Amino acid sequence: MAMVDTGAVRLHVQRTGPREGRPATATVVLVHGLLTDSLASYYFTVAPAFAAAGLDVVMYDLRGHGRSERPAGGYTLDHNIDDLEALLDRLAVTGPVHLVGNSYGGTIAFGYAARHPERAASVTLIESEPATPDWAVKLDRILHWVVEQLAHHEPEAIAWVTAHRGLHTARLARGAARLVRETTLAQEIPASGVLTRERIASVSCPVLALYGGDSDLAEQAPLLRAVLPDCRTVIVPGHEHSVLVEASGTVGGHILSLVEEASREASRVAAP
Amino acid sequence: MTPVTADEETVLADLTGMLARLLADEYGVDDVEIGMGTTFNRDLELESIDLVTLAGLLQERYGERVNFAEFLAGMEFDEIIELTVGRLVEYVVTSLKATEAS
Repeated sequence: MAMVDTGAVRLHVQRTGPREGRPATATVVLVHGLLTDSLASYYFTVAPAFAAAGLDVVMYDLRGHGRSERPAGGYTLDHNIDDLEALLDRLAVTGPVHLVGNSYGGTIAFGYAARHPERAASVTLIESEPATPDWAVKLDRILHWVVEQLAHHEPEAIAWVTAHRGLHTARLARGAARLVRETTLAQEIPASGVLTRERIASVSCPVLALYGGDSDLAEQAPLLRAVLPDCRTVIVPGHEHSVLVEASGTVGGHILSLVEEASREASRVAAP
Repeated sequence: MTPVTADEETVLADLTGMLARLLADEYGVDDVEIGMGTTFNRDLELESIDLVTLAGLLQERYGERVNFAEFLAGMEFDEIIELTVGRLVEYVVTSLKATEAS
């Protein structure tokens, strides 16, 4: 297990790539979601196919999540973007990267691209959206609910989840309860700095926004197409928020097409 | 390290050792019985991030010949939830035999 010290926090990193030492064609950085998520959502889904397609694949656990260190504080969106920035520096990944983010991970990926347009070759948002004032209000509502239901009434909440959603989900919920109890994450994320419409529109690299057809986030698709200069959207019917793990073949295929297209375009522009 | 043998009994012993180490390191648990029918999710209560750690231990032991991530990537979510130690043992044995034969 590789731990990377960014200077601020120790992060668990997994990296995979083409076999037999073939050179990678591009680097893709995969950012997971909040509370119950970890890099495992990529490791066992799209990462093997990305490596087989010749990509250098970087996955990491966000601070407080998975096997990464869990400091008590430092959980605003900007902290997460700082961590990603420092991690790529430590890994000596200097060229433009293809960023992929699931849920809150997409908000981080987009924030990184807005901060460093020259370092983003493309951005994929899976069940995700950029940080806007509306986003902050929504996250505040969700995290309030988590704190109320899980952290303060854990035994009742876990009993309900076990009965209605099964043991596996109950275990995830217990992990989420621990995270919001042990850290200031639930208070800090809604207080994060957000992006103006102009800042969002300044992300000029190709953006793929992908949603489950039954997810209420799918309504983001037309909004993003209206604001972003180069945005395509995909709706995967019959799925909700877990579309990455439930339909990983479909999701991975769309990401690979975007990465290949963006790489071709970049080399065409770079050629004299 | 003992040489790798591609029979069920040896691989089960290898995996039992890896899982015992993982459970002790991560959860301080050291009294778990592990057999072919043991499930990762229900019996061992492992989370998916624990399976990433197990993938690393498998790679340390068997090298590139056993790719746990690829094995799981080919499965439906429900299959992963029901995954038993025995199914992984079979996969490891098959992978090792395939490279022996080639």
